[in-house]
Amino acid sequence: MSKSLTIDDRHYTATDGQTVIEVATANDIYIPHFCWHSGLSVAGVCRFCMVEVEGRPKLEIACNLPVVDGMVVRTQSEQVKNAHKWALEFHLINHPLDCPICDQAGECGLQDYYMQVGKYPAQMTQPKVLKPKNLDVGNDLILDTERCILCSRCVRFEEEVTKTSALGIFDRGDRSIIGVYGDAKIEHNYTTNLVDICPVGAFTSKDFRFKKRVWFTEDVKTICPGCATGCSIDVAHNADLNRYYRVTPRYSEVNGHWMCNFGRTMYEHLNVENRLLTSYRRDSATGKLTKSTIITVLAELHQQLVNAQQRIALLVSSQYTNEEYRVLFDYFVSKIGVTDVYLWRSKDEDTETFDGILMRGDRNANSRGLVKVLADFKIEARADFDSLLVGDYQLVVALTPEIFATFDRAIDDQLVELAKLPFVSLWANDRRVLDFSWTQVVSTKCFIEKQGSFTNYNDQQRSLEQPVSPISGEIKDLGEIIELLTNVSRSEVACQ
Amino acid sequence: MPVVRVKRPPEDNNVFLLVAGYFVEIIKGMKLTISIFFRQLLGREKTNTLEWPEQPATYGDRFKGKHFLTLRDDGEIRCTACFLCATACPADCIHIEAAQHPDNNIEKYPTRFEIDILRCVFCGMCEEACPVDAIRLGPEYTMAGLAGEKWVYTKDYLAKREVLDGGITSVKKENDKHPTIDDPSATNQHSHLRHGVH
Repeated sequence: MSKSLTIDDRHYTATDGQTVIEVATANDIYIPHFCWHSGLSVAGVCRFCMVEVEGRPKLEIACNLPVVDGMVVRTQSEQVKNAHKWALEFHLINHPLDCPICDQAGECGLQDYYMQVGKYPAQMTQPKVLKPKNLDVGNDLILDTERCILCSRCVRFEEEVTKTSALGIFDRGDRSIIGVYGDAKIEHNYTTNLVDICPVGAFTSKDFRFKKRVWFTEDVKTICPGCATGCSIDVAHNADLNRYYRVTPRYSEVNGHWMCNFGRTMYEHLNVENRLLTSYRRDSATGKLTKSTIITVLAELHQQLVNAQQRIALLVSSQYTNEEYRVLFDYFVSKIGVTDVYLWRSKDEDTETFDGILMRGDRNANSRGLVKVLADFKIEARADFDSLLVGDYQLVVALTPEIFATFDRAIDDQLVELAKLPFVSLWANDRRVLDFSWTQVVSTKCFIEKQGSFTNYNDQQRSLEQPVSPISGEIKDLGEIIELLTNVSRSEVACQ
Repeated sequence: MPVVRVKRPPEDNNVFLLVAGYFVEIIKGMKLTISIFFRQLLGREKTNTLEWPEQPATYGDRFKGKHFLTLRDDGEIRCTACFLCATACPADCIHIEAAQHPDNNIEKYPTRFEIDILRCVFCGMCEEACPVDAIRLGPEYTMAGLAGEKWVYTKDYLAKREVLDGGITSVKKENDKHPTIDDPSATNQHSHLRHGVH
């Protein structure tokens, strides 16, 4: 049964059981709040989401106020503004105000609301209550109990989402602090979500701590390539330096509000120190890999494609986009006639596991997409790495997995074995491949620089929204490489 | 259409007197110049000019010249690496890298603090933005150098170059709101959490 209510002189309808703050948020009316989070239960402890309801003598908290038919709510009245002002001053009584050294500055609820409703000099003359700072409480977590405003979001996250219940509120009154029990550490794979949901700087991330002020970065909307779930993520990017600093989750139906700690490392391989910035080829005189251009390398590859007389194998990992796979197979299978397609998978992977929250054992972003494209091209792909090694191929075109971290240590063994083959054209984005000896290396783009889509475990096609400019002009995605390769072969025909 | 009548100056026929007056003024001026020249030559009057650069010229403390970083009372650098100067800088010339300080009360400090002086426009906004009086623009104005010299001022140079005579102490003292956690009054409140304090 739907109910109608009025918020700030506009009429809205609500479903049964919805609270005022849910209706308001769904209709882009912003009610300031600290403890309420749409992914968690209602606690009603911060007393900040006060609204005025006509016919009721006192202000009510919108997070715990079920909609009643015909309710008239005001969020902007003088009484409400006054309540915000005093609630904020109450929260700031024992807050250390160390914004200059706090990582949350720039995305902090206290800062934002102070600029919105505060701007008064502090009236408190008593000394502030001091609490423990800089505590190491687990994976990627630093806890500063002085900055905490006791909203209990972290406690509820531990109880409701991960069900580990590792955090609690100890002591009473202004000495209350958030803490772990005894010497325990929070060790699960979702700890950095605590940093995200903390509305102040009480939890900060060890990995991101002091690296960059948040106002120097812009969020790039994209899809996490860390496993088959495909969470929606924002990657913090500084365009001037072309560097990436952290990964945060973005709300979507697939992942809700959360993401795992493994997914948060997905910015590391994007930075320049881990990237191949140009193509390489083996120098015939010295036998060592030397820098080259993509045109030279592709001309050499084309020559070998002609010479190899169908003893060609294509080794593909499941971490490229659907669109790239179509272009790739269109060239190698339909035009060149390659029949031996191998899948590059980790030897020790367990694709069926699922941790119950988000992370899947299949650490390849586009396993399902590749299966579909292979079916469309009617190709039987083999996941047998060993038979590739003994297959006596004169040319192996190998597309490495984009993220070596998804393969743990297994990838080093596979690269060693693969490098022993006579002619390997390796298409890679990770600098670590240069430790091995290849015939040629073509530098490829990473997920954040591509336009395209991944198909997740549930056959949902998820598009990578806004590609950023690549870190070097010499790196290409598979579509661009195939186009160049086609042009190389065309110009050869023209020369003859 | 209205007619505007312009009053023209009368035809000047007495050119000789004007020219003569001109020469008279020149001679008067030369007399003053030459008399001062001889008075200063004979040491009867003090000269106001300096023989720069042999003779140094100093400006007041408020002059916005070469930057320096101030120190804490114990000689450590005062800067907390809050990046507000880098944010305010219109020339984008301040480069800071922050890290965890071993002393828990300081918490954050700059491992690198560099100013690209060729980009700096000496606007003084870094000084204004700083919440702890850690960066100031000093009275030094001689910044000429050879092309091979380093134009990026490092943290050590900014804080402890020779001219600063061991460094200048910040007027903003250490925040007394945060005495050490090892302070008994603070730890008594949370003795069960002391294990986590490092």
